[in-house]
Amino acid sequence: MHPLLRIEHLSKTFPGQVALDDVSITLEPGRTHALVGQNGSGKSTLIKILAGYHQPDEGYTASYWRADGTEQPLVLGSAADAEAAGIRFVHQDLGLVEMLSSVENLALGVGFTTKAGRINWKVDTARARQALSEIGFDDFDVKMPVGLLTASQKTGVALARAMQNWENGATLLVLDEPTASLPGADVQRLFDAIHRLKARGVAILYVSHHLDEVFAIADDVTILRDGHLIATQPVADLDHSRLIELMIGHTMQKVVASSARTGDRVLISLAGVSGGNVANIDLDIHEGEVVGVAGINGSGREHLIPLATGQIPTATGEVTLNGVITPPYSPGKVLAAKSAFLSADRAVQGVVQTLTVLENTTLGNLTKHTKFGRILKKNERVEVKTWIERLRVRTAGAEVPITTLSGGNQQKVLFARGLRLEPTALMLDEPTRGIDVGAKEEIHSIIDNAAANGAAVLVASTDTDELVRLSSRVIILRNGVIAAELTGADITSENIEHAQLQSKPATDHSSHKESA
Amino acid sequence: MTAAATTTAPAKPRRPLTQRLGFDRFSALYLWAAFMIFFGITQDNFLTHTSINLVLTGKVVVAVLGLAFLIPLAGATFDLSIGALMGFSVAVTMALANKTSIPQGLCALIAIALCALVGFISGFIVVKLNVNSFIATLGMSQVLGALCILVSGNRTLNNNEATGKPILSASYRDFGRRQLLFDLPAYFYFMILLAIVVWFVLEHTPFGRYMFATGGNREAARLSGVKTNRLTWSSLVISATIAGFAGTIHTWKVGVYNSSTGPGYLFPAIAAVFFGASQLKGRPNVWGTLIAVFALAFGVKGLQLTFTSGTEWIEPLFEGASLLIAVAFASRQGIVKIPKRKPKTDATPPPATGAGG
Repeated sequence: MHPLLRIEHLSKTFPGQVALDDVSITLEPGRTHALVGQNGSGKSTLIKILAGYHQPDEGYTASYWRADGTEQPLVLGSAADAEAAGIRFVHQDLGLVEMLSSVENLALGVGFTTKAGRINWKVDTARARQALSEIGFDDFDVKMPVGLLTASQKTGVALARAMQNWENGATLLVLDEPTASLPGADVQRLFDAIHRLKARGVAILYVSHHLDEVFAIADDVTILRDGHLIATQPVADLDHSRLIELMIGHTMQKVVASSARTGDRVLISLAGVSGGNVANIDLDIHEGEVVGVAGINGSGREHLIPLATGQIPTATGEVTLNGVITPPYSPGKVLAAKSAFLSADRAVQGVVQTLTVLENTTLGNLTKHTKFGRILKKNERVEVKTWIERLRVRTAGAEVPITTLSGGNQQKVLFARGLRLEPTALMLDEPTRGIDVGAKEEIHSIIDNAAANGAAVLVASTDTDELVRLSSRVIILRNGVIAAELTGADITSENIEHAQLQSKPATDHSSHKESA
Repeated sequence: MTAAATTTAPAKPRRPLTQRLGFDRFSALYLWAAFMIFFGITQDNFLTHTSINLVLTGKVVVAVLGLAFLIPLAGATFDLSIGALMGFSVAVTMALANKTSIPQGLCALIAIALCALVGFISGFIVVKLNVNSFIATLGMSQVLGALCILVSGNRTLNNNEATGKPILSASYRDFGRRQLLFDLPAYFYFMILLAIVVWFVLEHTPFGRYMFATGGNREAARLSGVKTNRLTWSSLVISATIAGFAGTIHTWKVGVYNSSTGPGYLFPAIAAVFFGASQLKGRPNVWGTLIAVFALAFGVKGLQLTFTSGTEWIEPLFEGASLLIAVAFASRQGIVKIPKRKPKTDATPPPATGAGG
């Protein structure tokens, strides 16, 4: 019996970084193969190479087998060749056109059926219904705009679209974090669809952070770590803790003594904060304390700071900053309460690309440089220059476009924007995402200094080493609630990663597997 | 630190000659100079006092409407109702002067206040009802067109039917028309004054800075504490008020209302603002707008003198072509925002290009 697709000795080097190093993977028809690894392990790079988005390094071998059993060489790094080899993708964001109906979304992939130049809706509608019901989605109107469907129905449409014409060669379905936007109950529906596809001989490559799902749905698992292939094994041979061990591998020691609490006053207080993926969080942060927030995507980590700082509107509960209760969805009130925050997405929520370094620094508060309604640009320049020096912003000057700066230096400008308000409560979402090592350390010392001066700091990060480096206490979110808390010497990458991956007590995982 | 010492700013590349001469940033000034020289040589009555004054005064209304358009545009909000507002202001002023005994100066002020109210309503629609400003103000234009017909009785307002005399009194019109320095009318200097105020507000006050920040990245501005909604709203009130004042200038200058007053002024004003945005600072700005208005006006005048008869086609052709060329340049330089696909947040290691620290 031949496999369906085999890739050997695959490497990918980015300037200054090896993302994949001699990785091999073999996919069998009718089996679900999970691909797991921490952030930066190389699994996204592997998917992007399969999809033709990245070019692999020379030296790999890859081939796939046709339905008639003939082996064909596979050229990686080309979307057209991946398509020809029958590789189909459902990406995390699904890629549906929300204004169009399911029928139209499906037809965008394979073309409309036409009769004398006119779309034959009858045929296309029937075809869409057929494709959806084959994977168990027949409970909604296929003529309704996709934007009005539920998350799981949308996933169904995306699956159906990927699997159209699969008889003509679609043999491998790659699911990239398919449950990222699915509420828990809907995950089962996706799994049912996967079982149906497996029964038809489709191979599935399933990428997920959620180890529960791996045990529930996968037959085999490949573990990547730092770009290396760690193991490929049948899931049945593994248990939870063994899998986590393989994913994490190293243990990072707490290297830097982090700031500790310097006083008893509570400066940041969350009481029953809910919204987004977050459910009912209570948290007090004292003077001089740096509290880290860890959690996999979907755990609530990504929503806690946006909720606390009024960036997203759905918050309930009470946020008290420096003794002032701040209403939800009012970032201005948060800033007025001697607080500052950084958003996770620097380009979209932080930097104003059309303005200069100077204008970006003072954005939001010009009162101290305004006299009779006029901005005193000389004073403003003097202040900004001291910030450039203090935070070591590498820039050709204060009045150059901010886009001429590297990501790390843009981030320092955003720190200056916040710190010039002399905040005593800081809430930082992914403060060093996408920033190189040198600038990262500088930003960490900026945070250290703020805490040493008595500020309370909340840091949410996917980078566990960063949390270890900065925090005097780390809370770990799972399913929107605080699942664990680490302090002192217990704050290690290993402990954080264990805690964020730890599953609920095993429920009925085995039952799906038997039904497959 | 050591890292600081090793990172040096990249050497400034030698800029090409066209850039050093500023053909990109000062193209309108070069164009203006070229028109003056070329038509000055070829046409005897081009560089005369009369024709220069004629061109300067002829474009005051367009220039003021350009200033109106500029303020919301800085915050990436489009006010397409300024032309209709100007016509509305003229219609209201003249109808009030015609039918009531309210002092005519007060009629004009009432008209401007009504325009401000319309701007307030547009602001409500844009901010509270969350309608795209493009659509909201386009719809508002049409509503204003209807109001103009109602107010004017769908007739040309010129002379009072009963007395046969012009509706607007000589003393009212002389207030704006009286000649000052260089024989230019007062309203020309009002325009200059307004331009200085708008320039000051946009370039030297927190309001202006926050407007540009809102225009550049609305969400980032909001999260920095800028009250972006309030800014958008007030910018629409301001633009409507200035458009109303443009109508007042029209009453001084022409003193007649007809159904074509207003809408036709929208296009040249917008063209001037976009052309002007490619000038000087490379973002929507006051002096770029004024330069664009008058550079084009002198070009049109020169061509009209060259082709002595049947020259009506020159002006729209010139304005249309200049808008297309200006916006093409501006979007290449990223001045005018063309909607782009949202950058995807991605947890994979970025293909770092060695852009160290």
